[in-house]
Amino acid sequence: MTQPVLIVGGGPAGLAAVAALASVGQESVLVDKEARLGGAPILSGYAKLVPSGEWAKDAIGGMVSGVERDPKVRRRLGCTVTAFDGEPGAFRATLSDGSAVDASAAILCTGFTHFDSINKPEWGFGAFPDVVTTTQVEQMISSGRGIACPSDGRKPERVAILLCVGSRDRQIGREWCSKICCTVSCNIAMEIREALPDCHVYIYYMDIRTYGLYETNYYWKSQEEFKVKYIKARIAEVTSDGHRLIVKGEDTLVKRPITIPFDMVVHAIGMDPNVDNRTLSSVFGVALQPQGFIGRANAYTTLGETSRPGVFVAGAATGPETIDDSIAQARAAAFAAYALAQRARAPAHAA
Amino acid sequence: MPIHEKSLIRPENLRVHDKLVLDGIDVSGHWSTFVEPRVVTDYNERLQEEIAALPGGEHIHRCWQCGSCTNSCTVNAVNPDFNPRYWIYLIRMGMESELLRDKEIIWQCVSCNKCTYACPRDVFPEGVMKATAHWLELEGHTPQSKSSMFDAEFTEQVVATGKIEEGRIIRGFFKRSGQPLMQPWLIEMAKRLARHLPLKMGFLMGIAAVVRPRTRGWGRAKAALEDYIAGQERAQKSALGLGAPVAPAKGAVHAAPGAER
Repeated sequence: MTQPVLIVGGGPAGLAAVAALASVGQESVLVDKEARLGGAPILSGYAKLVPSGEWAKDAIGGMVSGVERDPKVRRRLGCTVTAFDGEPGAFRATLSDGSAVDASAAILCTGFTHFDSINKPEWGFGAFPDVVTTTQVEQMISSGRGIACPSDGRKPERVAILLCVGSRDRQIGREWCSKICCTVSCNIAMEIREALPDCHVYIYYMDIRTYGLYETNYYWKSQEEFKVKYIKARIAEVTSDGHRLIVKGEDTLVKRPITIPFDMVVHAIGMDPNVDNRTLSSVFGVALQPQGFIGRANAYTTLGETSRPGVFVAGAATGPETIDDSIAQARAAAFAAYALAQRARAPAHAA
Repeated sequence: MPIHEKSLIRPENLRVHDKLVLDGIDVSGHWSTFVEPRVVTDYNERLQEEIAALPGGEHIHRCWQCGSCTNSCTVNAVNPDFNPRYWIYLIRMGMESELLRDKEIIWQCVSCNKCTYACPRDVFPEGVMKATAHWLELEGHTPQSKSSMFDAEFTEQVVATGKIEEGRIIRGFFKRSGQPLMQPWLIEMAKRLARHLPLKMGFLMGIAAVVRPRTRGWGRAKAALEDYIAGQERAQKSALGLGAPVAPAKGAVHAAPGAER
């Protein structure tokens, strides 16, 4: 009898890891600090996902119900891990409710935290209700309420999306590219244009990083089919004339100042390291990268190893990551954890 | 077809022909304005290194042209031709002749440092402006500015005595910059000082103006400072290819490439 594998975090990566383990008959214990499974796509109410176009509540929600039905998965929701002792094959985790879980290995699928736009006050979030984040726009769409200005509920005629909010910015100590926000912004821009065909959508960018096939399906498509306008400028400030928002900057390609009114300004917020990463680092004894994400021991042989043998990591816990890549990483980490669980069983079996 | 962004085209490159027929088609008049292409004939591939060798310019290589400096700029708000982002681009590409077209406005930076706190890559555009103005002076493209004359007078006095004496600095600065010493505001200030300054302070000022006090034991500090400044100047001139090339002086801050964080 093998010990179960401990999975921390019930987002796309954690759900994929327990499903992969269950598919080969390996038991697992899934711990999540929230009372509900699904992670960011469910808890933050994402709308249609990239690249499938499926609704998050269907795609990720489907993964949740699969895990909830699975007898090989023990769920411990509303719990955190407060201590993690032992060695590979024989760990003991202490949970915040005082109970203990024996585990052969652990996979940290602890994800990220959305950047809090309040940390870039010059762009008006918190000061003006019609300055929102990409997450809020996702919620407008997924809730069925539709795109509307929070101040008075009117349909916006002009929307500006500002890229790299909380990414690629030394002023606030976030030097990483959050990888997904360009593509998410193209996607949101197309959804706004589809819902409100008379609404003009402008994207203000430093670079466009719709890498790989996202180039055709999001960047080009948004320009060619949806007539989304792209302006190379980092905005200086977002203010208000009392009625509409005023966006100021420089259109760098034509060397000309911009002062343009908008009904709604959307911050394409980046991915911060999970706010709990320092706690996780100390509880699990795993090293963090300089940027604060959980470090990986190597890039090629075993994708998901951390600095502590027997503790694996997958998904946005290691750095900005897409949902599909998080799932792939989780399955790779699950395979490594499963191998460890089997090896741990072998001597006991022989004895 | 209208010419978009005509502001980007130099007036001398806009050609209007009173009478011109091409292949039997009349293209006279304003409606068929021609644009002479602007040709880049050469790059000064060392320009970025030259600016980076001067104090403040060390991080110019980090720029990715987002425009945060220009759109946060105090001077740009008044004069749209004052565009740090554009100049950083010209310097990095080595377009020296284009840069020199703006030599009369580059020095206008007021060092408010708004760009410093907006720049997402810590380029320190304010420092780059300072370095560029300095470069223009060293290369002889612009005459020495009043502020650098003041700096020179101030520095020389500190190095010489370890102290500054305001009256002497004003006299020296006015002399360097060719300004008359007898200026109405200065005369008025001297009169009021004579009237209101406590006797003891007036006496001390008078003594200082005549005997030129020195900081005690200043000799060694003076030698070290002179050595350092000479090293800096040698290294800067060497980086710009001015004067005999020399090895960078020990302790020349800019000789170590700016550590990329």
